[in-house]
Amino acid sequence: MQSNPVEVAPWGDRISSKSGSPSHTAAVLQHLWQFVRHKPLGALGGFIVLVLLTLALFAPWIAPYKYDETIPGGRMKAPGAQFWMGTDNLGRDVFSRVVYGASVSVTVGFGAVLLANVLAALIGVTSGYFGGAYDICVQRVVDAWQSFPFLVVILSMMAVLGPGLLNLVLALGVLGAAAGSRVVRGATISVMQNTYVEAARALGAGHLRIMLCYLLPNVAATIIILATIGLGAAILAESALSFLGFGVPPPYPSWGAMLSGSGRSFMYRAPWMAIWPGAAISLAVFGFNMLGDALRDVLDPRLRGGGGRPVS
Amino acid sequence: MDQPASSLTRRDLLKLGGAALAVGATGAVTAPPAALAQTPKRGGTFRLRSHVAPVHFDPHQTIAFSTMIPLSFAYSRLVKVKGGSAVVPGTQPVESDLAESWERQGDTVYVFKLKKGVRWHNKPPVNGRELTAEDVKYTYERFLTIKGNPNKTVLGMVDKVEAPDKYTVKFTLSEPNAWFIDRLASTTTWIVARECVEQFGDLKKPESVVGTGPWMFQRYEPNVRMSFTRHPSYFVPGLPHADGVEITLSPDPAAGFAAFLSGEYDFGPEYGMVVRRSDLDVAQSRIKDLGTRDYIVLFGGYTAMKIDQEPFKDVRVRRAFGMSDNWKETLETNAWSMGKGAPNPLIPATLKDWSIPIGQLPPEGRQLYEFDPKGAKKLLADAGYPNGLKVPVETTPGYGPDWMDAVQVALRNWKLAGIEGDLKLKEYGAFVSSAIFGKFDKMMLTLRGVTTDPDSYFVPYMPGEPLNSSGVNDPKLTEMIKLQRRTFDEKKRRDIVWDIQRYVSQTVYYGYGPSVSAVGAWMPYVKNFGPNIGHDYGGRLMGAWLDK
Amino acid sequence: MKRYVFRRLLVAIPSLLIASLIVFSLPRLLPGDVVQLMLEEKAYGKDLDDLRAKLGLNRPMYIQYVEWLGQVARGDLGESLWTRRPVLEELARRLPISLELGVLALAFAIVIAVPIGVVAAIRQDTLADYAMRSMAILGLSVPGFWIATLCVLLPAIWWGWSPPIQFTAFSVSPWAHFAQFLLPAFILGIASAAAIMRLTRGTLLEVLRQDYVRTAWAKGLRERVVVLKHSLKNALIPVVTVLGIQVAQILGGTVIFESIFGLPGMGRFLFDAINQRDYPVIQGVNLLIVSVVVLMNLIVDAFYAFLDPRIRY
Repeated sequence: MQSNPVEVAPWGDRISSKSGSPSHTAAVLQHLWQFVRHKPLGALGGFIVLVLLTLALFAPWIAPYKYDETIPGGRMKAPGAQFWMGTDNLGRDVFSRVVYGASVSVTVGFGAVLLANVLAALIGVTSGYFGGAYDICVQRVVDAWQSFPFLVVILSMMAVLGPGLLNLVLALGVLGAAAGSRVVRGATISVMQNTYVEAARALGAGHLRIMLCYLLPNVAATIIILATIGLGAAILAESALSFLGFGVPPPYPSWGAMLSGSGRSFMYRAPWMAIWPGAAISLAVFGFNMLGDALRDVLDPRLRGGGGRPVS
Repeated sequence: MDQPASSLTRRDLLKLGGAALAVGATGAVTAPPAALAQTPKRGGTFRLRSHVAPVHFDPHQTIAFSTMIPLSFAYSRLVKVKGGSAVVPGTQPVESDLAESWERQGDTVYVFKLKKGVRWHNKPPVNGRELTAEDVKYTYERFLTIKGNPNKTVLGMVDKVEAPDKYTVKFTLSEPNAWFIDRLASTTTWIVARECVEQFGDLKKPESVVGTGPWMFQRYEPNVRMSFTRHPSYFVPGLPHADGVEITLSPDPAAGFAAFLSGEYDFGPEYGMVVRRSDLDVAQSRIKDLGTRDYIVLFGGYTAMKIDQEPFKDVRVRRAFGMSDNWKETLETNAWSMGKGAPNPLIPATLKDWSIPIGQLPPEGRQLYEFDPKGAKKLLADAGYPNGLKVPVETTPGYGPDWMDAVQVALRNWKLAGIEGDLKLKEYGAFVSSAIFGKFDKMMLTLRGVTTDPDSYFVPYMPGEPLNSSGVNDPKLTEMIKLQRRTFDEKKRRDIVWDIQRYVSQTVYYGYGPSVSAVGAWMPYVKNFGPNIGHDYGGRLMGAWLDK
Repeated sequence: MKRYVFRRLLVAIPSLLIASLIVFSLPRLLPGDVVQLMLEEKAYGKDLDDLRAKLGLNRPMYIQYVEWLGQVARGDLGESLWTRRPVLEELARRLPISLELGVLALAFAIVIAVPIGVVAAIRQDTLADYAMRSMAILGLSVPGFWIATLCVLLPAIWWGWSPPIQFTAFSVSPWAHFAQFLLPAFILGIASAAAIMRLTRGTLLEVLRQDYVRTAWAKGLRERVVVLKHSLKNALIPVVTVLGIQVAQILGGTVIFESIFGLPGMGRFLFDAINQRDYPVIQGVNLLIVSVVVLMNLIVDAFYAFLDPRIRY
């Protein structure tokens, strides 16, 4: 298997996929530092995402209380020393719920995006590779599917599947797949122009091998960018669905449900019930989008530098 | 067979954010204000909000409150519920509307004498002619025979309607029913005109809303607003005082409240002309001298169980569930009640003439309303579940986030008694068309409380009724229910109704959650208005006026 | 060119047919019997069957589908199962409102996004770029319904003023009619702005690297001329294509804003229909939206082909 074709980073180093060299960690750290310096917004986004993931993975250790634990006599307490973000109308600690909510959002986001991108890759790569009648048919279906406004499909699917975390992931994933598959298909087609693909075929490489070893890795960059932005979109979608009554049902604490549910009812009396989850959603989506944008800049050579006067 | 006098569907309760929990028994009802000595002022327009658009306007083809509320301004019936600030909310005192007088002859015959000179609205095709007994006869024949009338059972006991002369109507019932008059006062029994049905085919279109009520339906802008204008020849001289009524359709509660604060509505924006108690401070600080009156609402949580299967076969298990419920906490965590409300026996506590005070229940019944997880645990052990039990619980998030909060509270409290509830959620439409009719696994939680006559709350206990979700078949109970229908003496009937509630509190075929105490609210310049349960907005507003 | 359009049209037809099949079957997959829902809680066996027959729901699925297709071909979208009003009539009333909201939102989005995207592109990786991009993304990140709720509630609590909640038709007062869309369209526009900003920035960056732009720099033209006159037009072509799709997406997705601001649009119509299992309405609205989208795609593709002679299908 040939080494993956490399992309040239703006600072001129080659991002090597080989491991084992003695200064490997040092090299990675140096690349990271370069990334932070050249793409500070992306680094900020990345940091936010990191915090989010930490909260999500280590929620039971970080959160002082369980998400459905009622503190006796502690209803609707304003933020203070004991409850950093206050408590809600049921007497639950908002900070703990926000932390656990990170797990929920990450689960929904990653689950949906994983599903969407697996499907998108499947459809997009095969469609772009095989072309012909298969491509035309698949594209018609994708066209038809994509013409439906997001809300209609989601609502219908949720009504069919019923409320539930898993069902939400399924619905969001299937929806995201349609749009993503087009982008992947486009990327696949452009990668296929490359001579090494022709060469591989001439050497007798089978379809599967070509798709898996040559097309997929090069389309990976596109997929990663889709994924990061998709994560933000999934979190926003969940909150919108919560508003309409179709989000993640209890007992899981989802930021969307906290924001649009009792948080909304008590917005004047206990604004902290809505403000913190709202801020969490905004920050998470912001982070994912920033990271995704920076990644796109780095991974897509056409978008680097020279927007103003030409560099000598 | 028997149906509620007026109905708010569960669908509609959805929009109310599933508030209903808890009704408090403590004298939460404030005494009505002193009789008004002011003279009514003529003029002005009442402005209200409704959060659900009416599907159509035919009262014989829907039970939705979104239809009945606007119709209550334009139609009349034989008898109505009194309105005005002197009426204690929760009571349903009946007074005459179109009927001048009535009497019961024997057990099953009622004769009504109509008022003379009652004029229909001067709109085509009726054109202001006089109302006669023929109209009444026509209405009820259509009511009872038309296909697809979900309200039919309200008057299911009526055998025939006759109009012996121009101003006399005679009803013959197939069996005695002491609630008949109350049924006639419901918000489904409006008198309609034959010409409208003949001209329009049905009464669904807004143009077909021609009645004898205090206001005339003037303009309908779908999903935007409904406007009514004063009926100049209304049969009660001097009424109505206001020249018009305007109902704005606005689905979002936050927007509705904002509009209320900016003075765009004259009455509280939520159903029943209420304001959420959690918003009351803001409302009172923004609107000086805001008129308010607390009242306990009709709806509350409602639990059905499969009593012919394990584990609910054993009454001790059913009792344990009741004892591990903390209705006080449910009230305290709810935005509408903020702690105020009352627990419900079988008859919702707001129907104070018929609902039994909790203190009057037998000991096992009272226990249901005391939060006692230890006692519940012991009962479960006695019944053969020393290690607690796990039970699938079905409900729907479609009632709103307030409802889901209440469910969470319930589940958590059950845990203290060793009961683990396995929550199974269904989408609203799916839930309503299955679980309510009995298609659920072991236990389901929902809301009830749409109808204002107590007899309708016995329906789930009668074998053969589609709404008998628990599958109750208790001949002694059935007999008691039938007996009170035959008992015309009110005091004796109340004794039987109380006995039924006592009995039911020992057998625990269903569980009842509390009802919130809501805050009816109105602008300081609205006079002689008193909020009450039920959809009869028109009845409550016809005697009110605007002093500005 | 003509052949291209014709071929695209041909391709659109199977898309539409597949879409119609999805449109027809999707609502029927929804669990829950619409007839039972309608007669909620009070239904008895015979009444259910009667109503079902009255509504034509007791016939086999494929017959209903074919009949529906036939109706559509004649321009009849059927009647709502609940209100019995013709679907087409309702759509005619509601579509303009959703369109106004969508188009206005898009206008706001463009007005916000394009300048930001341009600045971000020509000042790439500077503080201005970072600041503007952050703002745009922030606009996207904060949930729209929350901003809307705050905008509606807070002024009422603080000053006793709320944005107009009662819908005013154009015929009643053109100014008031227009004014009621401003706030929701602005909030909606903020969310779309980020996507458009990204695209503008990206395509402009690409265009600015082209040879002919280098020539313009070499000729010594001022920055404003280079950017605005030579580059922007080309950069905006892909942006226009996105706009088409955005409008379509907005058509069905405005239910939240329509609820909050009391606008009787299509989003709310569809949402209620899904909850009530009102099949003809769901089908009618979906079909309309899908057709609009397919049409948009067609127009955009034709526009593309017109502009760029290299594109052939």
